[in-house]
Amino acid sequence: MHVLRLLSVFLKVNVQMSLAYRADTVINLLLNLMWLGWELLSLSIIFNNTATLGGWGPGELIALLGVFRLINTLMAALIWPNTERFNASVRDGSLDYVLLQPVPSLFQVSFARITVWRVWDLGLAVILIVAGVSQSGQTATPLNTVNFLILAGSGAVVIYSLWVVLIALTFWFTKFDNNVTILQALLDTGRYPATVYPAWLRLIITFVVPIALATTVPLQALRGELTAAQVALFVAVAGASLLVALQVWKYGVRRYNGASS
Amino acid sequence: MLRIYQRLWQVNWAEQWQYRANLVMYLLYWLVSPVVYLAVWTAIASQQGSVNGLTANDFVTYYMTLLIVDQLTSEITIFVAGYRIQDGTLSNELIRPIHPILTNILMYNLAFKALTLMALLPVWLVLGLLFRPDFSSVTLVNVLIALPVIGLGFAISFLFGAALTCVAFWTTRAWALHEFYSALVVLFSGQFVPLTLMPPPIQAVAQYLPFQLFKYIPIQIILGRLDAPAILASYLGGLVWLALAVGLFRAVWSAGVKRYSAVGA
Repeated sequence: MHVLRLLSVFLKVNVQMSLAYRADTVINLLLNLMWLGWELLSLSIIFNNTATLGGWGPGELIALLGVFRLINTLMAALIWPNTERFNASVRDGSLDYVLLQPVPSLFQVSFARITVWRVWDLGLAVILIVAGVSQSGQTATPLNTVNFLILAGSGAVVIYSLWVVLIALTFWFTKFDNNVTILQALLDTGRYPATVYPAWLRLIITFVVPIALATTVPLQALRGELTAAQVALFVAVAGASLLVALQVWKYGVRRYNGASS
Repeated sequence: MLRIYQRLWQVNWAEQWQYRANLVMYLLYWLVSPVVYLAVWTAIASQQGSVNGLTANDFVTYYMTLLIVDQLTSEITIFVAGYRIQDGTLSNELIRPIHPILTNILMYNLAFKALTLMALLPVWLVLGLLFRPDFSSVTLVNVLIALPVIGLGFAISFLFGAALTCVAFWTTRAWALHEFYSALVVLFSGQFVPLTLMPPPIQAVAQYLPFQLFKYIPIQIILGRLDAPAILASYLGGLVWLALAVGLFRAVWSAGVKRYSAVGA
């Protein structure tokens, strides 16, 4: 309850901050729509030239675009702004205040900044997923839909865990300002099914920077390609990576000795 | 004048050399989308033999060349000068007896280009080993013919970028406009696919825009896929656009500097 109340306070603060830049918000929404238009156009160009991409049809790629935008929203609304704040706070020592407060430090580091207008992206993403699935002609069974939701969630957890480890590295290497660039860079691979990529790239985005776990895999579940055991395995991986990340964070905070004092 | 450029080059090179780690990260970030497009289109082409007459190797060579051409013709003016207008530090440069954009910022762009190209080279060779492009259609003559077009492409994109940045004299921030502009470049420059695969209306419009000089035309010349009349037409078109870009930049700059209020300083 405590945590939920804090979250709502964070949200309120961020809404107030963004209200100061209303024109900016409107422009951002328009630009966002423009890029969506471009993404759909690029898919139509691809499917003007081929019937399937990596075995997937147009509807399924639209749904994948929706899943990609879910992850992208997670990044743009939470991860990027909070990384920026965190890196600055390690550099100038203001992380001290975060650690002193009676709130789990990681919670505050993860949620203090929220780019509010990005919530709109969540709505768009859901529309894309529903439209894509219905266009692909597959009636998603309730079981597949549940699996899809579980795996989208666990994929997000894996990416979040990786992020925690990456920013925790800052405790060891203070000048590690580029800690999340690798995540940012490889994100774009999530637009297309991992099956089209050459093996080396597929390995990277599955095991090293597991973008595919959060985009391709959930959609495979929606297509009914995954067995129950595989779903369980992915969930276990997500749980394990979160545990590891929390440990790394704990050790990192212990190493931190403040930049200001 | 030459001495000024030389000195500014040294300063900007030394300044950016300090941040070479950042540069490698930037390179990585910028590299991914062409590699993704490459993977997608070669997958399609090898699945069905060819796409619209283009084989898998045609796509590999197109995107591998794009990696270099894009690096040569792109510009980052707004990321440098945009901040300086925003926080008022441009004032320091305005009191110098030289044009800040056409000297210092230009050299910043060129030093950045040289450094990123140095970092790109090993990555490019590794990608070459992974994708095994067959560059047999490339001749030295093609490359030499393409160089002036690359120069024109960079000059035009630099002047456009600078003119866009100058909009910040009125609005303090020009990011939204810049994002819109970059969408136009994506659409009409051949960054996503060789322009011949774009929908016909877009191809028709792209003919009359300068953006294809940034990527598509130089790539096609290097790969030997453009005939002499088409090359000549692109030279002429490039010169016309260069004149227009110079005019645009001069107009926006001289009007903008008068409006400049050095907000942050």
